[in-house]
Amino acid sequence: MKKRLSIPILIACLTLVAAACSSESDPTTTTVTGGDPTTTLAGDPTTTTAATPAEPVVVRAAITGDEDTINPYTYISGFPGWNLLMMQYDTLMQLDADGVPQPWLADTISANGDLTEYTLTIVDNASWHDGTPLTVDDVKFSLDYFIEKATGRFSRDLRGVVAIAVSGDNGIVISLAAPNPAFDLVALADIPIIPRHIWEGIDDPGERAFDISTNVGSGPFMMTEYESDQFYRFVSNPDYFRGVPAVDELVVIVFADDAGALAAIRSGEVDVSFERVSPEQIALLDAQDPLDISQGPEFTTQMINFDASKAPFSDVVVRQAMSLAIDSQDIVDTVYLGAATVGSPGWVHPGKPAYNPAVEATFDPAAANALLEGAGYIDTDGDGIREFGGEPMSFDMITNSSDSLRLRIAELTAAMLGDVGIEITVVSVETATWEEAVWPGFDINNGRNYDIAVWGWSAPVQANTIRIADLVNSDPGIGFLNLTGFSNAEVDAISSQLLTEADPATSQQLIGDLQVLLADQVPFVLLAYPDGAYVYNSEVYADWEFIAGQGIVSKVSLLPASARP
Amino acid sequence: MKLLNRKRTKKRSPKVANRLGMLGGGMVLFLVVMAIGAPWFAPYDPTERVGLPFQPPSAAHLLGTNDVGQDLLSELIYGARVSLTVGIVAALVALVLGTSVGVLAGYYPKRLGRFLMQGVDVILILPFLPLLIILAAYLGRSLLNTIVVIGVLIWAGPSRIIRSQVLSLRSREYVLASRTMGAPDRWAIMRHVLPRTALLATGTFVRAVSTAILLEAALSFLGLGDPLQKSWGSILFWAQSRGAFLTPAWKWWVLPPGIMIMVASLGFALVAFAMEERINPRL
Repeated sequence: MKKRLSIPILIACLTLVAAACSSESDPTTTTVTGGDPTTTLAGDPTTTTAATPAEPVVVRAAITGDEDTINPYTYISGFPGWNLLMMQYDTLMQLDADGVPQPWLADTISANGDLTEYTLTIVDNASWHDGTPLTVDDVKFSLDYFIEKATGRFSRDLRGVVAIAVSGDNGIVISLAAPNPAFDLVALADIPIIPRHIWEGIDDPGERAFDISTNVGSGPFMMTEYESDQFYRFVSNPDYFRGVPAVDELVVIVFADDAGALAAIRSGEVDVSFERVSPEQIALLDAQDPLDISQGPEFTTQMINFDASKAPFSDVVVRQAMSLAIDSQDIVDTVYLGAATVGSPGWVHPGKPAYNPAVEATFDPAAANALLEGAGYIDTDGDGIREFGGEPMSFDMITNSSDSLRLRIAELTAAMLGDVGIEITVVSVETATWEEAVWPGFDINNGRNYDIAVWGWSAPVQANTIRIADLVNSDPGIGFLNLTGFSNAEVDAISSQLLTEADPATSQQLIGDLQVLLADQVPFVLLAYPDGAYVYNSEVYADWEFIAGQGIVSKVSLLPASARP
Repeated sequence: MKLLNRKRTKKRSPKVANRLGMLGGGMVLFLVVMAIGAPWFAPYDPTERVGLPFQPPSAAHLLGTNDVGQDLLSELIYGARVSLTVGIVAALVALVLGTSVGVLAGYYPKRLGRFLMQGVDVILILPFLPLLIILAAYLGRSLLNTIVVIGVLIWAGPSRIIRSQVLSLRSREYVLASRTMGAPDRWAIMRHVLPRTALLATGTFVRAVSTAILLEAALSFLGLGDPLQKSWGSILFWAQSRGAFLTPAWKWWVLPPGIMIMVASLGFALVAFAMEERINPRL
C-alpha cells in the first residue's frame, strides 16, 4: 500500500529531476558523427582540380524535430525544413545576402513590360546527383508537376500561371494570367526543380511512402543517410554547377527541444544550431569561446489579431485605442531583450526599401482612453472595465502554449489593455486549437472563432511587400490571409491595384500610401519583428552568410565565396 | 527472527513517528502561514513587473527577477497558495470518491464490490503520469482542470484501504445485530461504518495531499497547468523555457521552487506517516 502511493511521487520527482538535467537528455549524440571521411566520391579526378582540403570539413548542425525524408512532398516545417530541402535542390533564382533574388539555375531572367510573361534561360552546366544533365525539360516538368499535384506551398506559388512553354535549347517562357511583379521572389526563388526521370513515374506523391532514394537533386548536398528522429547525413556534391561546396559533409542531428540543442552546442557535440537562439541566451553563448553569434533582422512577425468583423472590434476607434494602448517598445525590451525591431503599424519592416518612414508606432494610453471615452465606451458600473452595449469589454486572448515568448507577450499586452479598461484573460491552448480558432481549416472562408489572439507570420509573408494585399484585402480570393476579417474600401482599392502594378515608382507610391492608411485603420496590431540569431562554432566553420530576413540556414552559407550569388 | 523484528519496530516506531510527524507538521504549518500571509510577506505583487528581466539576486529582489521582471521571491511565496489549494482540494476530491467507492465495495463485497474493485484495479494498472498528461492536455489549462484531473486519478489507492476496513467492520457484532433488527443498510453505514473509517480516511487524505502537490508541480512544469498562474511548478516551467537550467540562474530560479515542492510534499507525507502509525488498524 505504501509503495503504491509513493510511485506517483517518485515519478513526479523523477520528472522534475530529469528536466533539471535536460542538458544531458539529448537523444542522439553518440555514433552519429563517426568521422569516416565520406568525401571519397570524387568520381573523376579531373573535375576537382581546385584545391581539395586535406582535412574534410564536417559541420554538425542541430535541429529540433524530425523533417521526414525532406523531399518537396515530405519536408515538414517551413523553417528549417524548406531550408534543408534546398540544400539538395536548386531554385531558378537564389536570394543573395540582401534577400534579393539573383540568377541561379536560370542565368538570365527577363519579364515583358506588363510583367505577365517571364522568359528564362537555364544554365547548361547543371546536373543531377546521379549524373544526368539538368535541362529545361526538367524545369518545365517541375512547374507542371507542382501545378498538377498539389503541395500547398509550391502550388500556391504558381497560382496565376497559365502557360509554360519551352523555347529553343534552354529557354522557357512562363505566362501569367495577371501581372505579378513579385513572381521572381515568390515563385522563382522558392520552388525546387526536380528531376523528370525520377518523378515522372510518381503519380500520387501525396500518398506515396518515400524513402531517400528519390532524393535526387541538383543542389550542393546529397542526402546519404537518414534515421528517423535521429539524424540526416548530407555529403557535398563535387560536381555542383556553382563550384565545390566549402563544407564536405553536413550532419543534421535531431534534438527533442531547444534546451538539448543548446546544451549540445555548448559542449561541442554540434557545431551550429539551425534553430533560432532565444534572446536571453545570446549574450551567454557569445561569451563562450569558440562560439559566435550571427544575428540580423528577420521578417517573421508577432502581432495581436482581433476579429474586426464583429463588435466592438469592427469599430475603428476601438482598434486605434488598442494600438495606442500597447507599448511595442516595452515588449521588444522585455520579452526579446532588445533583439527585435519594433513593429510598424503599416506592416512593412523598416529595413525594407518599401518602408514608409512617416509611419511610426505610437504608445499613448491617455489618447487611447480619450478615444474610447469619446466613442461612448464608458465604464458605467465603476469596476474598471468599460462597457459597450451593456456588455463589459472582457475578452479572451488566445495563444499557443508551446511558444513561451508568445505567452509572455499575451501576459504583457493583457496588462496594457487592462490599463485602458479592456479586460483580457489569457487563454493558452494547444497549437492546433489556436490555429483552428484563428484560421479554421487554414481557409478564411471558414470564418473566425476568436476575439483576440496573439499571432505571427513566417518570413515569406513579409518578405514580399506586395503580399500585404493577402493580409488586408476583404475579397477572400485576394486577401486569403486576412485573418482579422478586416474590411475597408480604400484599402481594398489600393491593395488590389498594387498586386498588378507594373511600374516600380507607382508601386512604391501605392505601398507608401497603404502603410499610412493601415496605420490609421489598424487591421491588426503589429508588435515586433524578432531578430534571427544563430549560434555556431567558429573553429569548425565560420563563413555563415546571414540572408536578410531569412537567417543563415541556406546553401549559400556552405558554398565558397566565389560560388555565392 | 520475525518476532525479533517486530519487537524492535514496536519499540522504536512511536517515538520516531512522533518526531517525524512533528517535523512534518512544522513544515505544513510554515506553508499554511506563508500561503495565508502571502500579501504581507511578499515584497511585491508577483504579477507586476517590478524590475528588469533576468536580474540576479540583489537587496531589492532577494531571489532576483524572472524573464519579464517579476520578483521571484514574491512568486515563490504566492506559489504556496496554488500548491496548497490544488493539493488539498484534489485530495478532497480523491477522498470523497475513494471513500464512497471503498465503503460501497466493502459493504457489498459480492457483486457490486467485485465490480467496483475491478474498476479500481484498472485505474491502478493504468500508466499514471502519461494518463495524467493526456487528460490535462485534453481538458485544457486551468486551475480547476488541474484539480479535477489529479483528484480523479489518485482516489483508487485510498478506496482499497477504506474497503478493507469496511470489510472487517461489516462483520462486527454490532453491525450484524443492527442488521438483524431490520435496520436499513443506509443506517448501518452512516451510524457504524463511516464513523469508524473516518480516521483512516483522514490519514489517506493527508498522504493524497502530498501526492497531489507533487503532481500539480509536475503538470505545471510540463506547461499543462495554467502557465500564468503563480505556482511553483509554473516558476520551473518558465525557468526551463527561458533557459535558466543552463545558466547560473538555476541557483535562484530553479532551486528555491524545487525546495518548496519538496518541503510541501515531504511535510504532508511525514504527517501522514505519523498518523498511520497511530490509526492504522491491526487487521
